Amino acid sequence: MVQDSDAFAADLLRGHTDTIVLGVLRRGESYGFEIYKTIRDATGGAHEIKEATLYAAYRRLEKDGLVESFWGDETQGGRRKYYRITDAGRAVYQRNVAAWIATRDTIDSLLIERH
Amino acid sequence: MTTIHRLLDEAFTGVDPTPDVLDLKDEIRANLEARVAELESSGTDSDAAARRAIEELGDVRALVAELPAASPWNAHRVRPRPAFVVRTVVLSVVAAAALAVLVTDGVGLLALPTLAAALAVTAVALSLGVVVGDALRQETSTNYPMSPRRASGYGVATAAVLAALGTGWLVLRGLEFPWLILVGALFLGGVALFAGLGASQTNRHKAWALQQSEHYAEQGDRFTQDPAAAARFGIYTLVIMVVAVVAFIVLTIALGWAWSWLALVAGFLVMMIVLARMLFPPTR
Repeated sequence: MVQDSDAFAADLLRGHTDTIVLGVLRRGESYGFEIYKTIRDATGGAHEIKEATLYAAYRRLEKDGLVESFWGDETQGGRRKYYRITDAGRAVYQRNVAAWIATRDTIDSLLIERH
Repeated sequence: MTTIHRLLDEAFTGVDPTPDVLDLKDEIRANLEARVAELESSGTDSDAAARRAIEELGDVRALVAELPAASPWNAHRVRPRPAFVVRTVVLSVVAAAALAVLVTDGVGLLALPTLAAALAVTAVALSLGVVVGDALRQETSTNYPMSPRRASGYGVATAAVLAALGTGWLVLRGLEFPWLILVGALFLGGVALFAGLGASQTNRHKAWALQQSEHYAEQGDRFTQDPAAAARFGIYTLVIMVVAVVAFIVLTIALGWAWSWLALVAGFLVMMIVLARMLFPPTR
């Protein structure tokens, strides 16, 4: 059952990848590994959202105009691709968070017995 | 660090290297480097760290398959950095103000001392030089940023040529003739620098931009695709202009010069409209 409940949690989390990425970028521009690390540390080190999922999310968000990307000018090593949240991205983030809070309350009231 | 590049190349073997794929590969590369550095700092040896980072990445092909087929212009769009925009605006204002002072002095409305005029020339040359160098350092949607040395080379060349022109003006204005040596040195130096930089300049266009320009070059415009359309346009033009000239002569005789020239303008307008209609036929 432990395995199943982990999978359930990971599924829930993955369903909100785009909003989570927007949430990370809201604190400031960042590049792939840093975003990944922020999410990994927040989930207590578990690799619930894979890097591959994130690359797809960045491209989706960029196509929708919610984030924009630019290449950094690192002098050593590969150039990093940085992402920055747009105003449209902030608006979508606010909306999704509001929707999440409403849904969370509904699910809480349906799933959790109150004594 | 060499392992990570080898492993990345292996992971991308057989994948069609479109601009989007290369872009993804570059992005992944920097992230893998960061992950490897993290693993190494926690005590993993570099080979194992590289292999583990690649394993964590998972299947690259699945990632490539998910690349959206966005319009290349939007997908590769780069916004100018705010700091750059501010710098350019401020420096352009400085240059414009200094130039305005020089022009006011030149037409005789202001009698500047030579030192002040020299300062204004310096301000124009330096600020525009910095604007040029700074602009070339920026990444754009179609171009990679220029290397700092080369960009500042262009900036210095611009400043030198502008300073030469300005000093030349100061000499005309009454500076002693020996200063012409400085004018010549600055001008020749600037031109030589431009020539050297221009001759050694390599391509800065991004892969996707080159692909696009090839694509457009293949397409061509309507007249190269369809020579008959070009021939038709030639005949139409001839007819329109003959009618316009005849109308011009008739109107000159009937109404005089004041109105007859309108016939030629009308003929030209009709010709341009026909050109536009034929180059870009209406789509239904």
